[in-house]
Amino acid sequence: MSSSLISAVCGGVMNVIVVLAVAPLCQGVLRKVTARIQSRQGPPLWQPYFDLLKLLGKEDIESGVSPAMQRFTVYLSLAAVLTVACFVPMGFGAPMDGAGDVYLLIYLLTLCGVCTLLAGLAAGSTYSLIGISREMMSMIALEPLFAVALVVGAMHVGSFRLNAVLNGSVYASSGISWSGLIMLGVIVLSFQAFVQRVPFDISEAETELMEGPLMEYSGPKLALFKYAQMSKLVIYSALFVALFVPWGSGLWYPLGWVLFWAKVFVLVLLVTVVAATHARYRIDQAIRYFAGLLAVAFLALILASYGY
Amino acid sequence: MSAVSKLKEALVCLKAGRVTLPYPPQGHPVPPNFRGRPVFDATKCTGCAGCANNCPAREILVFDVCQEIRILKYLGRRCTYCGRCADVCPEKAITMSQEFETGTNQIRDMQQSSELFMSTCQRCGRCFTEPTVLEQLKLKGYRQDDLANERWIFCSRAYLENDAVVDDIRIELD
Amino acid sequence: MLNTLCKKMFGRSLWVYHANSGGCNGCDIEVLNVLTPYYDVERFGIKLVGSPRHADVMLCQGPALRSTAKALQRAYEAMPAPKLVFAIGSCACGGGVWFDSYAVIGPVEKIIPVNYYIPGCPPRPEAIIYGVAVALGLVEKKVAPVQFKSLELPIPRYHPSDLRGSGEMVVYEKMDKV
Repeated sequence: MSSSLISAVCGGVMNVIVVLAVAPLCQGVLRKVTARIQSRQGPPLWQPYFDLLKLLGKEDIESGVSPAMQRFTVYLSLAAVLTVACFVPMGFGAPMDGAGDVYLLIYLLTLCGVCTLLAGLAAGSTYSLIGISREMMSMIALEPLFAVALVVGAMHVGSFRLNAVLNGSVYASSGISWSGLIMLGVIVLSFQAFVQRVPFDISEAETELMEGPLMEYSGPKLALFKYAQMSKLVIYSALFVALFVPWGSGLWYPLGWVLFWAKVFVLVLLVTVVAATHARYRIDQAIRYFAGLLAVAFLALILASYGY
Repeated sequence: MSAVSKLKEALVCLKAGRVTLPYPPQGHPVPPNFRGRPVFDATKCTGCAGCANNCPAREILVFDVCQEIRILKYLGRRCTYCGRCADVCPEKAITMSQEFETGTNQIRDMQQSSELFMSTCQRCGRCFTEPTVLEQLKLKGYRQDDLANERWIFCSRAYLENDAVVDDIRIELD
Repeated sequence: MLNTLCKKMFGRSLWVYHANSGGCNGCDIEVLNVLTPYYDVERFGIKLVGSPRHADVMLCQGPALRSTAKALQRAYEAMPAPKLVFAIGSCACGGGVWFDSYAVIGPVEKIIPVNYYIPGCPPRPEAIIYGVAVALGLVEKKVAPVQFKSLELPIPRYHPSDLRGSGEMVVYEKMDKV
């Protein structure tokens, strides 16, 4: 019992370290490919590492309505994102499978979004409040989409355990899995919003809102927030791969591990290409878009409950 | 569909390659009429101070130390590179070069000052005086710009009746 | 050790906040040009941010006006240390042609301390990149003060105090010393 606990904890720590190491690299790839699409040279691939190190060395100005709450939300957001990393299989099985089920995952994913709201509230300036009101509106329409995908997978497999669900379970019904394919389409169409990229980065719109909820954070707090955002890209990609594109992850080490990171890389490239060629949506356009997707997702849920 | 058109847009942009100029090693060639920093050739200058009279930013200051020595100082701070000084100079002592790489951490680096000998009349040893007082007022040397504080004396301050305080910032007027 | 690493990384990723305190927007457009693909300054790691709290460098443009002086000072104080200020354009370096207007206090350095000056009206995008490169230590600065002094006075001078006589018969006394 204790050895499995120790191995689970070590596996979780390994996952966290891997996510922390790879997240700025994915962001660097994103910036570089965006620059190449815009016909310019772009920053070096290691640029986000330099950015984070520089931010850690700056002075920390405590401003905003409640600085203690600001500190709390910074740590909470990074902690929530890294906790999700412990539940996601990254080429191997997920290290902490037995510690929670699908509901815990949904809760943690929503917590990552709520941390942005808390951050903006703790700052308390006008731009932050506008940013978090828009983030709240889009979260209401957005978070159920991933939850429905996980629940559809759980319904097909018949259990809420993570090691069963995060294994391509959406395709597990008898015959062609219509609900699985519908959910694949829905999540692909709304993936940009989960990782907070154009066209759906409404709350952190630089040109409109002076970076919204993050406006009052400087120095190390900003570094941790940016780290949390970068890690979200990796974690959502990993979840997507585990849920919808799991083929090949059962291969023996290191082939399965390499295949997993190749799939994540392809997903990051897709996110980049879409982000570089689109304009940002207005909040009402985004809500209408998500509402349509939500209706389709509920259709998929109904189909799944009938076994299709 | 718009998704396909966006992907086509990405491919088209990728085909354009990399248009970034590899500056600072090598940049875009300068257009032929480009006006960069003015360069003052003090060996040709006669000290007429026509450039100082015509500078719209009052960037060229004149100070007569004594009858024979005149200091002409070009501070590079406010120069708008208009080229009026080069147009007006009768001896063509000012050329608008094509230098634009003038970033510096001390604005004093942009100064060009020259101490010139003004010759006096060889018979009586005095400089010529203008016939009327009005003409004398127009003489550059009569004005004696304040070189130490780098300011042009005829700065009109009539509009500021009392101390210049904006909220709680004290402004030193000239 | 982490401290020195962070200090060294300061030059590799500068985040820029653009503050226009009353200029004509000519230098604004040149700064915007610098961020376009042709002159691409992002390859040095420089990024434009929307809030002074995120920024390392403030690009000041336009002279300091009486109406915007307080706002400029507050934006400067909102930046976390270590910070740099670049004054771009002749209005920010010395007040420009408006230096004696009723609305203008003067150059930007009367309100906030300036680290680097990039004169020009407006400075070419290459000039702005050159100034940034000087600040990063990549190139040497090319300007230095120039002073010209006549070492010896070229022709003999005649002082009124050395003249003797009056009317037609005015004689220069130090004839032999000329």
